[in-house]
Amino acid sequence: MNLNVNPIFLTQKRLLYRAGVLAAILIAALLGLSLLSGLIAYLADPRDFDFHSPQEAGKIFYAWTIGVEILVLAMGGFSKISRVLADDRKAGLWDSNRLTPMKPAAIVTGYWLGSPLREAYMGAVLAGTGLAIVVLAKLPVTLWLGTQILVLSTTLFFGLLALLAGMAFQRPQSGIVLLLPVVLVQMFSFVFPKFIITNFVLPTYGIINLFRGPARAINDYDAIRDWSTWPEIFAQPVPPVLLSLGLQLVMGIFLWRAVVRKTTNPFQPLLLRWEATAIFALLAVVQHGLIWGIWHGRFPTAFASNNRFSELDSILSIVHGGTILVGVLILSFASPLPERVRVEALRIGSGNLQLVFSRSAVSLALALAAVAAAASLPHFILSSGQAWKAWALAVGNLFLFFMMFSLLLEYCRLRFKRRALGFVALWLFVLCLLPFVLAGVFSSEVIAKLSFLAPGTVALAGPDSDNLKYLFEWTGIHFVVVLLLFIEWRRQWRLLIAMPSSPTPGS
Amino acid sequence: MSTPVLIIEHLRVDFPEVVAVNDLSLIVEAGDVCGLIGPNGAGKTTTMRAVSGLQECTRGSVKVGGHELAQEPEELKRRLGFMPDFCPVYDQLTATEFLDHFARAYDVPDRTKRIGQCLELTWLTEKRDALCEELSRGMKQRLVLAKTLLPDPQVLLLDEPASGLDPLGRIELRKLLLKLRDLGKTVLISSHILTELSGFCNKAAIMERGKLVMSGTIAELGQIMGRRQVSVKWRNAGDRAMQILKGAGVINLEATAQGATFEFDGDADALDGLLKTLVVEGVRVTEWRGRGDDLEQIFLQSGARELM
Repeated sequence: MNLNVNPIFLTQKRLLYRAGVLAAILIAALLGLSLLSGLIAYLADPRDFDFHSPQEAGKIFYAWTIGVEILVLAMGGFSKISRVLADDRKAGLWDSNRLTPMKPAAIVTGYWLGSPLREAYMGAVLAGTGLAIVVLAKLPVTLWLGTQILVLSTTLFFGLLALLAGMAFQRPQSGIVLLLPVVLVQMFSFVFPKFIITNFVLPTYGIINLFRGPARAINDYDAIRDWSTWPEIFAQPVPPVLLSLGLQLVMGIFLWRAVVRKTTNPFQPLLLRWEATAIFALLAVVQHGLIWGIWHGRFPTAFASNNRFSELDSILSIVHGGTILVGVLILSFASPLPERVRVEALRIGSGNLQLVFSRSAVSLALALAAVAAAASLPHFILSSGQAWKAWALAVGNLFLFFMMFSLLLEYCRLRFKRRALGFVALWLFVLCLLPFVLAGVFSSEVIAKLSFLAPGTVALAGPDSDNLKYLFEWTGIHFVVVLLLFIEWRRQWRLLIAMPSSPTPGS
Repeated sequence: MSTPVLIIEHLRVDFPEVVAVNDLSLIVEAGDVCGLIGPNGAGKTTTMRAVSGLQECTRGSVKVGGHELAQEPEELKRRLGFMPDFCPVYDQLTATEFLDHFARAYDVPDRTKRIGQCLELTWLTEKRDALCEELSRGMKQRLVLAKTLLPDPQVLLLDEPASGLDPLGRIELRKLLLKLRDLGKTVLISSHILTELSGFCNKAAIMERGKLVMSGTIAELGQIMGRRQVSVKWRNAGDRAMQILKGAGVINLEATAQGATFEFDGDADALDGLLKTLVVEGVRVTEWRGRGDDLEQIFLQSGARELM
């Protein structure tokens, strides 16, 4: 849709101009020009600086420009969009716009591109000064172009996430919940930059790779922490910029579909089941594709003798943890509100549990575990029997964790209603973290393995036969816990579906 | 016979543990001004939101101008104007800019002219360049009404339009609603303040605990209710007047100072005949008040008051 006739975009523009935009632009210009004048000062008299060449100085000043630009555009834009949307929802303006014949896509576009206009102007000023820095320092313009494309695509991607946050949460600051897991995973991803997908969904690797320039010959040790070469997916090198753009585009399409669907009908789920499975599959397959080159299907015994990649032995455990985190996020978004299922049961006149199974996130948990199992299978195809046991434990652990989480979430929603979130957090603490705390108190490693997080991560970190025996036993205990949860979950659903509605409010 | 423009059939809306609207069916014909009456929590707002498509229905159908909400929501949006019980405005836009936003959204032809018309209709022409945050609650309410009128909708849904308004604001709003009625607009208006709707609606639908208790024209509802309450005052011949009233078979006749109150079973013509008899018999009637056609009376007699 043409933005010049999009009412929401035009209104956001009016509101911005009324509030004043010049101060923000001046601040951005001041920051950009400070960095530019730093470079000019170096070029005028290099003796006062520690840089070895104008290019090195240019890269440092431009890197700062990019940093500020990302902060303003991606973070500032995210905050602005989610805040504007949440405020408009609260004020009833969101509904007023939805009641007009505007297409849902036009409404979404208006908020997506209209709300962060101030940040866009600031970003444009910073990009301009960045270009001046690149030209003055005689750096390749492709550096500027590549980084700006990545910053822009990330801004748009974060904008879609912000729309989702604005629609999902009543309070705008709650949207930050969406960014916390990203930050958490990002902490681990710096250890193995080329092998962790977070560095590509967020274009960390792509930007640093552009600054590094052409790849040099590196030894095995440097290969682990390398930022210069291209990443490989199933041993095929892929340009990091292209990989980031591709991942953001595909995920962006799913996010776009979700926000447009939510605008059309807010009572629809955020993610359809096939979409949830597809996003999870994309992330899982690309992630395992990135680390495929380490073992080429012979995890982990093939390299045990010469210790070439010993540091990388822990990477599957980290990926396992990341898979659990992404799965939990997806299951949270796909899990239905019990009342919605009850209304649907009333609508179709069905009082059995078949509908519950088809709507509940429990069946999705099975699908996600199967996808993760399939994605990780190539690492173990040519491996010895011991590695197969590690794989079986990891897959079993994923299956039980996803089942436990989805059952627990729905059970708490059914049983505790508004207090559900607190109870979910409490039970997750008891089932996942308390064993580690108790292990610390009693100095017993065995207790730690009782955690729902343990079997997969421990088995993948170093499969030895003693460990595996214990882990299989604990997995059996986890299975019993999931079974008990399932029985209670089923009982609660039955009670809800069979419950007649009060004929009147408060009667 | 008028054409039905709003048809609600077997509407049901479920909230957690509560049926907010239960099997509600209602027909509003072209030019009708129908009052949706009920105590707080009766389901009026939920009904309005469900009709406009903002609230998901469990069952039932809503048709506006022959277009069904579930099948053709876009068509329905063009034919329906919904004004909620609060004032959703962009505080930092002027009244004209606010209307321009929605005129664009509704793709209204000749926007400037139409905005001018709606501002004039709602007596806001003088405030056209004022920021929305500077407007009083009553003005904001009128501005939102102007926004609702922009696309010239077939049906107007007004949810508690006078809520939060001061007495002056209520009077202004009442005048405006009378103006809309005179313009031939089809209106479904909800309120729990009965005097707000009295003398304005030609039809009423009474809701109680999510259900429609009764609906029809004010006269029909009065007849359904049966007895009308009448109070009469006279200046002379009080004994004679009491005799005539007793002879006419009125019920619960009670003498008051210089007059009487009673209940009457007959229709409006019979009541007129009784007044004529009193006058012909030499009773100088100074006040004659029949309350059977009054919304408040109908509402109180419907039994819904027990919930208030």
